[in-house]
Amino acid sequence: MSSLKELQDLIHEKYGIDMSELDPSASMREKGLDSLALVEFLFAVEDHFHINLPDVDSNVDTLAELAVVVDRVRAAKAAA
Amino acid sequence: MNSIAVTGLGLVTSHGDTPDAVFAAIMRGESAVQPVFPELPKPAAAATVAFDQSRWFTKLQLAGVDRVSQLAVAAADLAMKDAGAAGDIDPERIGVYAGCGMGGAAALEAAYRSGGRVPPLTIPAFMPNAPAAHVAMRQKALGPVLTYSVACASSAVAIAEAAKAVQSGEVDVAIAGGTEALIVPGVVLAWQAMQTLASFNPGEAASSVRPFSLDRTGFALGEGSAFVILESAERARRRNARVYAYLAGWGISCDATHLTKPDVPGQARALRAALRRADLKPRDVGYCNAHGTATRIGDVIERDALAEVWGNDLDHLSVSSTKALHGHLLGAAGALEAAITVLALQHRQLPPNANCTEIDPACRMNLVTRTGVAAPQLEVALSNSFAFGGTNAVLLFKRA
Repeated sequence: MSSLKELQDLIHEKYGIDMSELDPSASMREKGLDSLALVEFLFAVEDHFHINLPDVDSNVDTLAELAVVVDRVRAAKAAA
Repeated sequence: MNSIAVTGLGLVTSHGDTPDAVFAAIMRGESAVQPVFPELPKPAAAATVAFDQSRWFTKLQLAGVDRVSQLAVAAADLAMKDAGAAGDIDPERIGVYAGCGMGGAAALEAAYRSGGRVPPLTIPAFMPNAPAAHVAMRQKALGPVLTYSVACASSAVAIAEAAKAVQSGEVDVAIAGGTEALIVPGVVLAWQAMQTLASFNPGEAASSVRPFSLDRTGFALGEGSAFVILESAERARRRNARVYAYLAGWGISCDATHLTKPDVPGQARALRAALRRADLKPRDVGYCNAHGTATRIGDVIERDALAEVWGNDLDHLSVSSTKALHGHLLGAAGALEAAITVLALQHRQLPPNANCTEIDPACRMNLVTRTGVAAPQLEVALSNSFAFGGTNAVLLFKRA
């Protein structure tokens, strides 16, 4: 299970960032998601997947890295 | 003293966002007050703005930006473009002086209604100085960026403070005005509880606000933002800028008597201070854009304050409250009404005091009861803003 596609759809829907610019390995901060926008985006991710994200490691900078975290939380929730 | 020039106007209002269109609608006596929130137990009316966020923000830029800041960013940007002032200013010499009564009401209401899952950017969205900060970021203003929260006088005070900063040489250009966006159910309920809002029969919301009229019952809330660009007359002349009018004087006083009850001596002190600073006499002033909230007490007090200062010259002063048409913008009221006053001077036309069917004998003065009134001799006009908390602010403009 990878959440990457859904995350890409969500960020496109929420911020109107073009699909072609949603390179999973690109820095989200460099794409214009500053710390405030990122906080808001993570809130939306929690709503979308009905999960609670742990305090996301500040090293998480790309969508691919975020997808790994979301996958882990969803898997843990499914197993619980 | 013609030292402060108004060289730009930026309006985001219920009557549109170009100064001439807004002024034309006001001159026609068009009311923007409409019913809102039919789900509320008591009928409510307000003047709201048809605002297209996408003209000013990408979706990404909207993270944590409340409507009150969005309107401010748009109005300030329109004002700067109107002044043609950007580009050749040292950013450290630009100041932002913004009035705001409440801050991000929609953000706070959404937090309360979130069922406990409060959006994480509620605080930066709500804080009352957010609009000024967003204007500064958009305009790259690196000088003083200040917020004035003085209830209904907020943005008139902001404009006066900006004028002082220009006059003292602290800044070269001041982006001064105000913003308010609190047409959300919780805030409307609070204002209804305060018993200052106009009551109306079904279908009559548009004419519900009747300043100085015998049958007045209060005001309607309005939202919007208005900014002016202030700079020294010398700077405006040097860069060949179009000057709408000169801010010739301002007066600020406090009643220091009661939190919400207005006071004749306090208002008269502000009026006299503005005249003194402008070195003008009451007879020199042709038009007053009144605070005129259409409350039972407030309108009589304002009339008495004008009568006290103008004395036998009161009949020479044409008076109207345009709140009947655009509602009460609270923290943005002073700025919008200052802009309308400036446009009245520029066009030499007097905005109507709409919906006044029969003048209250206790408010007897020279009200502009008709639409489309020309004033070919108009040279000086003033705008009154009198706040809860007792602060009174008067801005006095001279024709360019």
